[in-house]
Amino acid sequence: MSLTADNDTRVEEIIAARTKGRINRSILYGVVFLAVLWSLKTTVVDDTDWERMGSVWEVLASIGEFLKVDWALLPQLWQPALETILVATLGTLLGVLTCIPAIWFGALNISPFPPITYPIARLMMTLSRSIHEIVWALFFVASVGLGALAGVLAIAVRSIGFIAKMSAEAIEDLDPRPVEAIRAVGGSEFQVFLYAILPQVLPAMISVIIFEWEINIRRSSVLGLVGAGGLGLVFFRQLNTFNHGGVTAVIIAILVLILFGEIISYFTRKAMI
Amino acid sequence: MSISDTSPGTPRTWQRFKFPGSLYRYFGLLFALVFLAFSVVYLNIPLERFIGMFGRIGSVIADRYYPPDLEYIRDADYLSSVFDTIQMAYLGALFGMIIALPLGWFGSYNMSPNRRFIYPVARLFTMSARAVHETIWAILFVTILGFGMLAGILALTMFCIGFAGKLLAEEIEGIDMGPVEAIRATGAGELAVMVYGVFPQVRVAFTGIGIYTWDVAFRAATVVGFFGAGGMGWYLKRNVLQIETQRVAAILLSIVVLVLLSEAASAWARARVAKAK
Amino acid sequence: MAILSVEDLKVSYSAAGPQILKGISFEVEADDFFAIIGPSGAGKSTLIRCINRLVEPTSGTITLYGENVLTLGKKELRRVRRDIGMIFQEFNLVNRMSVMDNVLSGRLGYVGNFKALFRLFSKEDISRALAVLDRVGLSDHVDKRADELSGGQRQRVGIARALMQDPKLLLLDEPTSSLDPKISREVMALIMEIAKEYKVPVLCNIHDVQLATEFCSKIIGLQDGIKMFDGPTSEMNKEHLDDIYAMEVL
Repeated sequence: MSLTADNDTRVEEIIAARTKGRINRSILYGVVFLAVLWSLKTTVVDDTDWERMGSVWEVLASIGEFLKVDWALLPQLWQPALETILVATLGTLLGVLTCIPAIWFGALNISPFPPITYPIARLMMTLSRSIHEIVWALFFVASVGLGALAGVLAIAVRSIGFIAKMSAEAIEDLDPRPVEAIRAVGGSEFQVFLYAILPQVLPAMISVIIFEWEINIRRSSVLGLVGAGGLGLVFFRQLNTFNHGGVTAVIIAILVLILFGEIISYFTRKAMI
Repeated sequence: MSISDTSPGTPRTWQRFKFPGSLYRYFGLLFALVFLAFSVVYLNIPLERFIGMFGRIGSVIADRYYPPDLEYIRDADYLSSVFDTIQMAYLGALFGMIIALPLGWFGSYNMSPNRRFIYPVARLFTMSARAVHETIWAILFVTILGFGMLAGILALTMFCIGFAGKLLAEEIEGIDMGPVEAIRATGAGELAVMVYGVFPQVRVAFTGIGIYTWDVAFRAATVVGFFGAGGMGWYLKRNVLQIETQRVAAILLSIVVLVLLSEAASAWARARVAKAK
Repeated sequence: MAILSVEDLKVSYSAAGPQILKGISFEVEADDFFAIIGPSGAGKSTLIRCINRLVEPTSGTITLYGENVLTLGKKELRRVRRDIGMIFQEFNLVNRMSVMDNVLSGRLGYVGNFKALFRLFSKEDISRALAVLDRVGLSDHVDKRADELSGGQRQRVGIARALMQDPKLLLLDEPTSSLDPKISREVMALIMEIAKEYKVPVLCNIHDVQLATEFCSKIIGLQDGIKMFDGPTSEMNKEHLDDIYAMEVL
């Protein structure tokens, strides 16, 4: 074949290009790898109290402590578990109520005065989603005192962002005809929202709310760590009394609770469809 | 669009919600009210505090938290703790992603090497990592390994495994199986099928998930220090305990700003990646 | 001797579900260009996929070069798949990979996991890939991404990938259904020429009876999982076609 010589040079070219790409990639990965090693040195190696940790056996022994589950604790967990669920539920409900203005302002097609109201809503959503629930709980414990109320408020505020964002997005691509109809009969902006928009997006919203409720159970299970009641408080007490088996028992209770939440939300969703 | 188009549709949806006639609905409402009352009583929520609560929160902020002690967060020690937090977040996200990659593969129904055993095990592992809250992971690792960033990084790693593992598996479950079938038909092994048939399809999405994972890891990293696992959270804890409210305000402010920055950076990077496909 | 012989092949996707193939038998000789025709849902695609066990048959035997494909372990199955080139209706290329890498992926049955992971292919493989790309008329598109090509070009990449395997049998699953009539003819003609050059027998699913009679030397007619016709193209007449497509006429 006359092509052979030509073919050979092309093969060489292709191999050279592939090798070059491989070398470039290796250098990149090498640099990343070195950066990671350096970070590990400054964070882990320098910051860890290796003497306090002791040998591998001591670490394994302290893990072993956790594995001796304190089953006797379980009966005492009913009440805090119920508290955790209630805080999550009330928090979600309160969050739904408070996020209505955020939804109204935050969906571009119904926002009453977009240049001002839209950024306000977006800011509300971002603040709510950006700040960790533990930080929210600290804030509310400081302002309304220890107890479940702070937990409910923290959960509510933390829920606004996600529910409002998803609902606003659902509203932005809804059917505009009923909206026009309500406007046509002379409804105010808020009436339009209540009568033409909410009914249309309700199924989507309910599904978002159930999803958020599930996440909120996970969140409310730890709010007790900063004084907002529920299973987190028991967890904290077990830890402080060095009852590590009890700590595991509480974690198991939390897992059961979350499983329970998932089952409930699964059936609710199914019932809705 | 003509008027006759809109008018028959609207009253139907409208009516349904205007006249909730069914008994069923009233029972639901009643149940909700009873539940609400029960919860409030059970949780000892002082309803009287609700009245004027927002005013009181406002005055608390004004009296005690304002003005934030901005000097404090410009301190070199604090700034280095911010840097530590960023490092913890990226190490946790990196290790989490590395472990989540095989877990995502094993835990995706279409590609799992073994549906009866490996699939449920991978699923279970991802789910447990996800179900346990990151602060609990932090506390556990602090208890076992002592204070410091090692505990924080491990806690964030577990958190990211749970977070990314689920997303990666879902992404793999959404691929086009055609190329997979074609690569299988050439006699390639399962690893080669992953590398050639699956990975090119999910690469862009995986990069996006990786960035997103870093973003949520950073959010979590700001608080794991509260329980002794390194980073800026420790400063938060110390000042909360000492009731240095103006410093707490400054730290909270810095957390919000940093999280917003990281979120903006992550959104920008993800948009870039999505465009690059 | 027959290269491929299929005996009493039965497939159902679940124990309780309907039988897709209800006992199919046929033989493919060395220089056959076999078409499998039949209405959609007749089980053509399933039949093709049983040969390299992308679909696991319920019972029967498939003998390829004297070896029963259905009893092979994982490793042997990979070796057998390596010897069977396959071309797909939707091309099944990896869109975000270059044409070169798509073609090279045909060698994956030959290279080990480590080399596959780092895309390390030998000089011979690359030279071969260039040669087959040249043969299918795509030597100018080596570095393009697969999704930059037109439908006909993509199917040519698919053909090149199958050729990279050095196949001893070619399976074609509706290779022209995603192409327009003119391109379909070109692609079928190319496959026919290549099959002659490489001396590979071909088993081809095809919906279009016109194309089947034009290009294929033998025809199997399937209807609802049952073989209705099996013989040289020249022996097939209108009555056979009516038999095969009876369901559609109704």
